[in-house]
Amino acid sequence: MLNYAASRIVQTLIVLLVISFIAFLLVANIGDPLAALLSADATVNERLELIAKLGLDQPLWTRFLHFIGNMLQGDFGFSYRTQDPVANLIAERLPATVELAFVSLLITIAVGVPAGIYCGVHPNSLFGRFIMLISTAGITLPNFVVGILLIAVFSVQLGLLPSFGRGTVVDLGFWKTGLLTVSGWRAILLPAATLSTFQVAFIIRMLRTQLMEVGQSEHIRFARARGLSEARIWYVYAIKNTLLPVITMLGLQLGNIIAFSVVTENVFAWPGLGSLFLQSIQGADIPVIAIYLIFVGLVFMVINLVVELLYPLIDARVLRRQS
Amino acid sequence: MITSTAPLLDVRDLTVTINREGGLVTALDKVSFFINPGEVLGIVGESGAGKSITGAAIIDLLVPPLKRTGGTITLAGTRIDQLSPKAMRSVRGGRIGFVFQDPMTSLNPVITIGQQLCDTIQAHLKLSGSQAKKKALDWLDRVGLPNPDVQFKRYPHQLSGGMRQRVVIALALCADPMLVIADEPTTALDVSVQAHILELLRDLHRESNVSMMLITHDLGVIAKMADRVAVLYAGRVAEISPVGELFNAPKHPYTRGLIRATPMPSTTGEMRLDQIPGAMPGLGSVPPGCAFNPRCFKAEGDCRATIPPLHHEASSAFSCFHPLERVNA
Amino acid sequence: MTPVVNTPAIARRRSRGGKLLHAMRRAPGPTLCAVVIFALLIYAFVVPLFSLNPFEFSGMSVLDSFIPPAWMADGSADFPLGTDDQGRNLITAMAYGMRTSIIVGFLSVTIGLVLGGSLGLIAGFVGGKVDAFIMRVADVQLAYPALLLAMIIDGAARAVLGAERSVGTAMAIVVMSIGIAFWVQYARTIRSSVMIERDQDYVSAARITGRSNLSIIVLHILPNVMAPVLVIATINLGIAIITEATLSFLGIGIPVTSPSLGTLIRNGNNFLQSGEWWISVWPCLTLVLFVVSVNILGDHLRDVYNPRLRGRS
Repeated sequence: MLNYAASRIVQTLIVLLVISFIAFLLVANIGDPLAALLSADATVNERLELIAKLGLDQPLWTRFLHFIGNMLQGDFGFSYRTQDPVANLIAERLPATVELAFVSLLITIAVGVPAGIYCGVHPNSLFGRFIMLISTAGITLPNFVVGILLIAVFSVQLGLLPSFGRGTVVDLGFWKTGLLTVSGWRAILLPAATLSTFQVAFIIRMLRTQLMEVGQSEHIRFARARGLSEARIWYVYAIKNTLLPVITMLGLQLGNIIAFSVVTENVFAWPGLGSLFLQSIQGADIPVIAIYLIFVGLVFMVINLVVELLYPLIDARVLRRQS
Repeated sequence: MITSTAPLLDVRDLTVTINREGGLVTALDKVSFFINPGEVLGIVGESGAGKSITGAAIIDLLVPPLKRTGGTITLAGTRIDQLSPKAMRSVRGGRIGFVFQDPMTSLNPVITIGQQLCDTIQAHLKLSGSQAKKKALDWLDRVGLPNPDVQFKRYPHQLSGGMRQRVVIALALCADPMLVIADEPTTALDVSVQAHILELLRDLHRESNVSMMLITHDLGVIAKMADRVAVLYAGRVAEISPVGELFNAPKHPYTRGLIRATPMPSTTGEMRLDQIPGAMPGLGSVPPGCAFNPRCFKAEGDCRATIPPLHHEASSAFSCFHPLERVNA
Repeated sequence: MTPVVNTPAIARRRSRGGKLLHAMRRAPGPTLCAVVIFALLIYAFVVPLFSLNPFEFSGMSVLDSFIPPAWMADGSADFPLGTDDQGRNLITAMAYGMRTSIIVGFLSVTIGLVLGGSLGLIAGFVGGKVDAFIMRVADVQLAYPALLLAMIIDGAARAVLGAERSVGTAMAIVVMSIGIAFWVQYARTIRSSVMIERDQDYVSAARITGRSNLSIIVLHILPNVMAPVLVIATINLGIAIITEATLSFLGIGIPVTSPSLGTLIRNGNNFLQSGEWWISVWPCLTLVLFVVSVNILGDHLRDVYNPRLRGRS
């Protein structure tokens, strides 16, 4: 088991290194950092200073090592667009996106789980089929269409919720939160709902399939043969079997959330990492793009690794099968 | 029927059909038998004869597209084939226990054994949590599991196949039912374990006098455990006899063929193995008249014309127009 | 005894055309979707033949701007679905937009298919280290949501090609980005099919007769692996179009000056708050209609061609 864990960790590190190298190549070869970071009337000295500071005169491998070294110390380079350190930009925008993801996760659990359970227990009921229809819409509709429709209904027509911005934000020093004010919550509701649409639809479908499968299993049949109540059979005996796969899939969906947050933040003018990324693409801001590339890879690889390593501990059957 | 006590379980004309694309096909055709209090009735037959379907039909746990479409089932004087789902739930486990075949798939993998036992006990008996736990531990001990308090907290996958089947038996009996239906309880187990499990079943039967319906294809198990035996063929009852009579003086030609086809040493010590020519008809391919007639050496015109009814004689019953002559040993 | 009539030929002919009709009757939903897709295709490609591109010619007048759909208060029969902020007839604008979206969608699916198909063929046929390498790359790429990848490739391409880009270049960038982002699924499917086929007898037979590897792949194996791939391609068409619309909506796809459904929605979004909802809602609905139909049809085809389900029907 320890061997397996060690090898998986090493593999993950290698992949991250490769991704970092690709990101580094982007930074090294695309765009002109001098033109981007210096003003037009910079002196020759200033140019030389910057070249030395950025290490542009060094061979490729040295620059790559510096790149990695800097990243590990929290220095992510400078944005070509704003000349600010990328780390600052990220720190500024991170809370907004994290809170958005958090609230959308809440919505996913609060809406998706009960709906999915209902569909799994009563798959052929009218309400169950209705929920499935909506979930099909949720899976196929593009994220920005959902956002626009929500704005059209709740902002324009009903005037209930704002369609842009974070509302009133409380500054806690290192973290600006919108979750401590009513206006903050009102502002986060629509974007979080939009972001969660895909997840809710996905979890409904997954729970339904899982429950229908479990419902056919021998141990559920035996539970029935022992006269246990339907409520106990479904809500305890069946559901416990579906929890782990569902939680795992949700974790692995994190990549999708990150992708869709770009769209959602754009529709709702939400000042988070997603809109930072979008601006960097529009402005050909390579350093930011590169860091984002590494960041997404890191998130996905780490989650995958954690899931792979934790699964055998949670589900001892997997461990036995592996040995 | 000579018994003076009323039977515990009385099944009459039980019919089960399966809904196939072409139409309705009969899986069980007017099966009738009874079980007396405290006795072990073996239900034996080849694969596909309808043994498991019979067990599932009695507690209304047939898997669709199978459906119970006829007959009456009476348990201790009350009809149980027309009960509401809620009433049926209290019968299942509470009055009729069921032992499933495969211990690797019958137990819920994510719930502890102790919890599964307590849930079953509390579903039928009005006991507090701690009383239920005590009873559960008691049962774990009775079925021969060492260190019951340790096993209580374990999950099924932490136990071997044999131990799991003991748990299954405990689960079937823990709510003190009056009848237990065991569907091939040892088939999925290692040969070395089978004997122990059968012993356990026999001991429990003797201790509590719970009646048993033992479904199996293995005549050896029947010989060891059953008091009376019902032989099923193609969804119909061929013969019902006390176990000694069945082996020594079978009435139905199929029964004799079945016994002969089982490798068993003869009185002289040789191993005999005679296969019955042909094969049992599958669902929907039952020939007119007696289902066995194409393979029967005693078949005559009336066998092909009419389905022989179950004929009761002395201590046994058989459905054959030309039963075997009694051979005095 | 009924006479044995020799009707195999007639029976065969009837069955080929009749089979399609029979299949259509048994699946009314997907058939309807196919009809809808066909209608939208006609709309997208025929309407532009009869009207000028409202984004290239200034035939429309600003006086005509913001006219609501014909059934509303200030609507006019000249503009059944209304006009946008520049006075463009939405019906024409959407037709051109739909056309661009569909073309981009098809092209990117083709690129993905060709790229993924070639890599899958090579991986499956050659095997060994080459196969392991290609699959490893595929695995790593799968870590990234396709949308994100398309954005990154798009962004990098923009940086390389500089700020001044023609519409054609922009379109090419979008097509390539989406194609590269989506090659993995094709590669995997073709690879597993090829691995099954390459061990078949007919391949050994072809080898023995001295045919080159390439011709074996193209002439023998390819026809056998196309069916599942085409099913994936159908489903991916919907995803490709949505991805293009998303990229254009975000402003990093097709430029706003030349229409695709995404740019139309982006443009219309500016006026959503002030009440001119129709400018973005019609393109939204059209997009959704097309993609949902493609998805339902694709799902149906996948079930029909699923070898595991074949026994059932």
